Amino acid sequence: MKIKLFLLKTAALILMPAFFATAQSVPVQPDEISQSRAAEAWSKVYQVFSHPRCANCHVPDDNLPRWSGPSYGKTSVHGMNISGGQSRIGVETVMCSTCHAHSNSDEPHGPPGSPVWMLAPVEMLWWQQSSKQICEQIKDPTRNGGRTLEEVAHHIQEDELVHWGWDPGKGREPAPYSAKETADFVTLWANAGAPCPE
Amino acid sequence: MQINVNGTQHEVDVDEEMPLLWVLRDELNITGPKFGCGIAMCGACTVHINGQPARSCSMPVGQVSGLITTIEGLGTPDAMHEVQAAWVEHQVAQCGYCQPGQIMSAAALLQMNPNPDDEAIDHAMSANLCRCGTYPRIRAAIKAAAQNIREKSA
Ligand code: FES
Ligand code: FES
Repeated sequence: MKIKLFLLKTAALILMPAFFATAQSVPVQPDEISQSRAAEAWSKVYQVFSHPRCANCHVPDDNLPRWSGPSYGKTSVHGMNISGGQSRIGVETVMCSTCHAHSNSDEPHGPPGSPVWMLAPVEMLWWQQSSKQICEQIKDPTRNGGRTLEEVAHHIQEDELVHWGWDPGKGREPAPYSAKETADFVTLWANAGAPCPE
Repeated sequence: MQINVNGTQHEVDVDEEMPLLWVLRDELNITGPKFGCGIAMCGACTVHINGQPARSCSMPVGQVSGLITTIEGLGTPDAMHEVQAAWVEHQVAQCGYCQPGQIMSAAALLQMNPNPDDEAIDHAMSANLCRCGTYPRIRAAIKAAAQNIREKSA
């Protein structure tokens, strides 16, 4: 009997940490610490999304790319009357690919480029949007390309045009952090229930 | 590397990063496309790649896949493209330096939009600069060419 009890106790001791480890990875009621960490992670994501390298192309239904940020002086719309049109790639106006090649020009003030060059879909509006507005948009599958937050993180880590934000070529300030860090911030925030600022 | 310009296949021995404009002008002696700015800001170097307009000064030749058309291949003095004919009819050119690029952009526009209004012309042509200020004649010639193309295809 004593031996049985001893074995049971030992088994409990061995299994308990495993039980807690499993219990921890299941989303629990978000506590205050995870909420403040989530809020901090989201504020970093917002720094990235609202950065000119990202927001300049997440523009409203005027379809006009923006030129803004430390490298551009005063904020303006893209020069030379350029519009992405409703297609957001310039089919109705002048194709973005007329000037934007698959890579950044090395010439000073030369055009940036990436294998894909286009405005973000109109419902993914970031230009001059608040942290709360972008937070609600990115969680809404009808406005985020039908993605789960896990897929949003994956998209940030994999998409070539998104990656351009951190490799924007000569004379342009890159977005803060890195693609990997930003994807990790999204994951941390999502796992804590994806709270949005009030 | 092989490139096809105006229907002719060329073998060129150049760095893949060399701008297409350099290859055309310096390697193949095709001098219709002009150098204005070298940074996709003026349009003087415009060619077509598979029918789409492209600024050849900012297009690394290694990224080009498909058929390249320059002003020399758009039409010939004996068989002009409708846009070229309208340019002659309206005597658009002043010094002429920007005009190969203007014509290539206009031809691309009419392919996408056979009846462009002023707003469409402004969007498609504003990135082609003309220091001589031939813009009113460019606009008139585009409308004339559009009408001729529509009438011929009617
Ligand atoms: S020379 Fe290419 S756009 Fe000016
Ligand atoms: S005709 Fe002289 S620059 Fe256009």
